[in-house]
Amino acid sequence: MALTASDVTIHFGGVVAVNGMALDVMPGEIVGLIGPNGAGKTTFINCLSGTYRPNTGTALWQGDELIGLSPSALLRKGVARTFQNVASLHDLTVLDIAKLGAGVRRDRRTGGHLLDFFRSDRALEELLMESILAPLELNDVAHKPIQTLSYGRRKAVDLARALAGDPQLLLLDEPVAGLTSHEGMAMAAAVRDVRDRHGCAVIMVEHKMDVVMSTCDRVAVMAAGSKIFEGRPAEVQADPEVRRVYLGEP
Amino acid sequence: MSTRHIAIAIGVAVVMAVLAVVLGRYGAYLVNAVAIAAIGALSLNLLIGYCGQISFAQGALLGVGAYTAGNLGNAGLDGAVAILGAGVLGALVSALIGLPAMRLRGLYFAIATLAAQAILEYLFKILDPLTNGVSGLVIKPPSIFGIPMTSDESLVLPSLVLLVIAWLVVSRLLRTDLGRAFLVVRESEIVAKGMGIDVGHTKLWAFLIGGFIAGMAGALIGFANRLASPEAFTLDLSADYIAMIIIGGLGTWPGPIIGAAFVVLLPEVIQRVGEAAGISDILSALRELAFGLLIILFLIFEPRGLTALLSRIKLRRIGVVPPAGLRATGEGSQSPEGRSR
Ligand SMILES: Nc1ncnc2c1ncn2[C@@H]1O[C@H](COP(=O)(O)OP(=O)(O)OP(=O)(O)O)[C@@H](O)[C@H]1O
Ligand SMILES: [Mg+2]
Repeated sequence: MALTASDVTIHFGGVVAVNGMALDVMPGEIVGLIGPNGAGKTTFINCLSGTYRPNTGTALWQGDELIGLSPSALLRKGVARTFQNVASLHDLTVLDIAKLGAGVRRDRRTGGHLLDFFRSDRALEELLMESILAPLELNDVAHKPIQTLSYGRRKAVDLARALAGDPQLLLLDEPVAGLTSHEGMAMAAAVRDVRDRHGCAVIMVEHKMDVVMSTCDRVAVMAAGSKIFEGRPAEVQADPEVRRVYLGEP
Repeated sequence: MSTRHIAIAIGVAVVMAVLAVVLGRYGAYLVNAVAIAAIGALSLNLLIGYCGQISFAQGALLGVGAYTAGNLGNAGLDGAVAILGAGVLGALVSALIGLPAMRLRGLYFAIATLAAQAILEYLFKILDPLTNGVSGLVIKPPSIFGIPMTSDESLVLPSLVLLVIAWLVVSRLLRTDLGRAFLVVRESEIVAKGMGIDVGHTKLWAFLIGGFIAGMAGALIGFANRLASPEAFTLDLSADYIAMIIIGGLGTWPGPIIGAAFVVLLPEVIQRVGEAAGISDILSALRELAFGLLIILFLIFEPRGLTALLSRIKLRRIGVVPPAGLRATGEGSQSPEGRSR
């Protein structure tokens, strides 16, 4: 078993954003996480990725507890995430972001990064261009500042950053939202490709049902902070309860 | 750091050296003043322009460098050792100044640095054995690598060498993971944290490196003035350095040098014009006003300073539209509204 999250609960004041959430993900598996707005999907991802510390819950990843670790510690363990809303980071190029993503795997606490000062990163650049940027079609804009890119391309850059850290557990928060359908399909294909090549476990929060259906091996449905259904994509679409709370049918 | 950067930095230093030789004593004095100010501005630009940590304590930090180098030099150490020692103490004091940044952000941290500035000014006055109190520490002319530095002319060379080194070190630094982390921390600490950047650590390094450079700049100020006194390193001086990096262009590569030249030379020009017209008293009073006004105007209309202005003119001349990248720097641009007096 790769990831076993159970009983994850977090509340903000009176709001219980995630309530006893449980989810398992195997290596090489893409699990879709769907649910209405405010269901707690992003908050759950935040709990797994070290952004929030849940009030209760455990998340075992290859035998280690993830909860309580900082994002940088998690990245060193191979747990990477992307963001629902990408930041525009001025002055940084696409390649810079990818390099940052690759760099977080190294432990910097000892000040060893000062050695970078004397190190050429030409080899790293080539590796990133070839193995990370090219599959995402970001090669041609590698030296462009990211704020000059479209929203869709910037989301691809955020994914590239996460992938550059060579993750084994990838948490994607709405990677396709806001993209054109062409961009969305390319992104979904990239996610599948990464899974195929690296065998990582993927949790993908997504609203676009066609992408979820074509990409995910399994789907979990969240509503009001809890999991209300879990099954294969076709089963999810057939379930009357899910259709009622999420797909908007009476 | 590209070969282009190396060529430009060395070219600028050579031009300045030639000017110092051609223009005689006064020219050497001005070149020296610009070079030293530029080193100090590079350090502050690293902190504010690239890492987004607004500091009003630069004046005092330069003072730490001046007093340290003064004491080490007076004790008979070589000037080069004294300058390095000033860098080390500058780095340590800067890290202390930066400690509140582990908890505070933006303007809250900026206010904490005001306190640091006040405390250091007070220490300069009371640490008598080291600072000689309000009358100030007289600094003997040092020898650097055995060569006596008895005049502004002789100090030009070490100042320019340090300027080139500091300039290139900063630009190389920005091409490392640490430098890239500075830029992300400047834009958003939350994003930086989510990306796995250790924010506290990143800031600490910005303070250490910035402080080291500032300490060395302070040492040169001490050697040039032959005196380190409390009233030379007040908040006014911090404000001058903030003016330099804003006018030159926050977070730009040539900004600190352009800004330093502007802030050092403008008063001299005004002075000469004033003397010629017989109204120097009025004009020198206008100096502070002019800088305050310029800071506000640049922050509103051209947050990337003279650097952006110049590159825009150049681009227009060769028929290129200015890139969208010339813009305000997130937290870094929320700088002081004018000079605190
Ligand atoms: N830091 C916070 N402070 C207070 N409330 C929060 C915080 N973060 C999330 N919440 C609340 O938790 C609930 C779940 O939000 P969350 O962002 O996880 O939903 P989501 O499923 O990702 O929705 P969407 O599909 O719109 O992205 C919401 O009611 C939200 O207001
Ligand atoms: Mg969300």
